[in-house]
Amino acid sequence: MLTSWRRHEPTVDAGLAPVLLVHGFASSTALNWEATGWVRDLSNAGRRVLTVDLLGHGESAAPLETDAYAPSRLRQAVLEVLALAGARPREAGDPASGVDLVGYSLGSRMVWELAAERPDLVNRAVLGGMSAEDPLADFDLDAADRFLADSSAIVHESTAALMTLMQLAPGANTPALLRLVAAIKQERFEPGASVPSRPLLFVTGDRDALATGTAELAALADSEVLWLPARTHMNAVSSRAFKQAAIEFLARH
Amino acid sequence: MAEISFPLPDLGEGLLEATVLEWLVAVGDQVERNQPFVEVETTKSSVELPSPIAGIVLTLHGEPGDVVLVDTPLITFAVADDSAGIVGTVPQEAAPKRRVRLSAVLDED
Repeated sequence: MLTSWRRHEPTVDAGLAPVLLVHGFASSTALNWEATGWVRDLSNAGRRVLTVDLLGHGESAAPLETDAYAPSRLRQAVLEVLALAGARPREAGDPASGVDLVGYSLGSRMVWELAAERPDLVNRAVLGGMSAEDPLADFDLDAADRFLADSSAIVHESTAALMTLMQLAPGANTPALLRLVAAIKQERFEPGASVPSRPLLFVTGDRDALATGTAELAALADSEVLWLPARTHMNAVSSRAFKQAAIEFLARH
Repeated sequence: MAEISFPLPDLGEGLLEATVLEWLVAVGDQVERNQPFVEVETTKSSVELPSPIAGIVLTLHGEPGDVVLVDTPLITFAVADDSAGIVGTVPQEAAPKRRVRLSAVLDED
């Protein structure tokens, strides 16, 4: 399997559905969920945790074909992981059935789409640092190629910011990430195309300049937003308030 | 009781400093080994740092928003005298998941 995934057993099993964590662009399970304390806190809350590295990230493979990175195929890989991990469709009266999802940034787009596509499987979902406008879709790939070839300055503001993020991210595979960007341009996020009917919680730093449109998405899905004071896109994910809110929200059933 | 200070560890990739986001413990708290005690942000990511030792928090060096330099004190614990002697072995036992490693600096006293 090209996609690396892992199951983390709970400290004391609360008997609830597994929680699948989907990391953000240029991040990984290790950076997004382990170093920040998410896996530990969920395990201590009695939850069985499933983590997955998206293609081109972390310990997953980084194929050379752009098509392999299509968001629909990344979602398919996540569903295969869920099947392998033994997740089963929701059943009334069985709190261990189904799956709960937590995403961050690009991972939240995946979670939105998975929750919309599979209401039979997804119980609840937490969507962190989520943007309605998909900053990756407007990425200037030509400018990025020129920058990598001869350090030409990138004029397009969000492209420059994302390029910096890729270059700073520990262990990031920049060529693979650019293939993912190209694939996302082919399959842009269209939140209105399919809106999840399952209970959602949105969590975003109130200084997050990348997650534009969180409030609109929450309105579309008739869900609440938790705003994290003084947090940005880069530092909201390790926030204790974020983790506690997610654990509490996902324990309702 | 002995006092042991831990400096901000090298968080990898040549970073020289980190910003305190939130203390997860308060002065006077009993902290267990591997318990996360602070959330810090570098230019690359934000992480929780686990305590390399069990002890009582004496001093938190910095407020949320403050920049702490690598190798300068981050937290000071009071520990039982007999545990101060094993300080040299603590970093290995801490088994950090990432390249985050705290090492002890014994105070002058």
